[in-house]
Amino acid sequence: MKREYLILLFLLMFVLLPYSAFAESFEQLRLDSANIKTVQARFVQKKQMKILAKPLIAEGRFFYAAPNSFRWEYLKPLRSIVISGNGDAKRFIMSGGKMVEDKSGGVQAMRIVLSEVVNWMSGRFDRNPSFKASLKEGTNTLITLVPVGQNMAGMIDKIEISIARKTMAIKSVKIIEGQNAATIIDFTDVEINKAINPSLFQDVE
Amino acid sequence: MKGIRLLILTAFLLVSCQTLPAINPILPQNQPKSAVCSSPFLKEPYRLVHAIEARIGGEIQGAIIGITLVDPSTRFVSCAIMTAEGMVLFEAEAKPALKVIRALPPFDSGDFTKNMIEDIKLIFLAPEGEIKTKGILSDGSEICRWQEKSGAWIDVIARLPEGIEINKYSVYGNWQRLVKLGMTSENIYSSIELSAKEALNYSLNLTLIEAEPLEGELKTEKSKGSEE
Repeated sequence: MKREYLILLFLLMFVLLPYSAFAESFEQLRLDSANIKTVQARFVQKKQMKILAKPLIAEGRFFYAAPNSFRWEYLKPLRSIVISGNGDAKRFIMSGGKMVEDKSGGVQAMRIVLSEVVNWMSGRFDRNPSFKASLKEGTNTLITLVPVGQNMAGMIDKIEISIARKTMAIKSVKIIEGQNAATIIDFTDVEINKAINPSLFQDVE
Repeated sequence: MKGIRLLILTAFLLVSCQTLPAINPILPQNQPKSAVCSSPFLKEPYRLVHAIEARIGGEIQGAIIGITLVDPSTRFVSCAIMTAEGMVLFEAEAKPALKVIRALPPFDSGDFTKNMIEDIKLIFLAPEGEIKTKGILSDGSEICRWQEKSGAWIDVIARLPEGIEINKYSVYGNWQRLVKLGMTSENIYSSIELSAKEALNYSLNLTLIEAEPLEGELKTEKSKGSEE
């Protein structure tokens, strides 16, 4: 289950990445990331698979406050929330009309993975030994992450992050899982350094 | 002392093993509303996407999304399980030979694939076999009892107006599965409850996200299947 939560944490990274991604180098990324105090956004996730004729659409919202508080929330079709106030991550799912804590083993694994996120949030994208990162400038900035170890073998071929260079707004994130499966996430209504009520990182409802 | 132990063991077995319920014959004055058996099964190829809540020993384990593609004419089944985050945990198909496309822990263990395909067939496909008995249960519900080619027994019970129940029993009549289909919604697969007796008993609550017929799409799958 650790790998499952890695996916979620990549998603967190994608939201934080673009605001410094217009930088010409990963070194510049690290410097710019220091200015991010909060991020909030809405997202639409499209899942493509061979078994699906049309993508399965999920919608949600995301909140982050430095150094390590976040809320990643799916509103539909399956309501679920991962919240972490100061690094203590919990996952909640809708059951019988109310949110209940997911007590599967994955939550413990998620805490371990969170230590990796601290690196990402510091802009150290090219220092994660699990991925080889490359940055390409064009009409849009394209960041590509390719797994180098066995941890992601058979799960992720590569991750492509496309960012509009003019607006610095993230356009799309594509997680390519193989020949017939991909996850595409589009972010909207992104707001940086706007005050976020701390209760969002503690309370589920 | 030995006799008491035997008595306790026998009592325990009687309590713990549910067996095929007795079926009363249909009397002329108690004719069922319909002469045909309830058939909650798919009549045409369908793709169904459900939110699935899984419980083991009554404790919730997590919620996942299940995608099922079923063709009743060929009994072709394709299925996938993924997290809300879009992570595919499991993917397999039966053409009818089982083929696992992806299985991450804990979905890579033991007979998981076989059991899952069997559960899907139990819910969506009419039993492969023949109706052996029709009648009335002690509570007045109408029942049709099938025996599958494998020898297993399947009871389809109309518990109207609440819904339809499907019970599966082994060749020896030991209860293995219960499926409850609600009748409150337009689509009979809107709300599905499945209870299973295994080494670790589990239950699944499925809530329909979307359903669509897919005749044209499966023609490709059929031709691929016949080539293999």
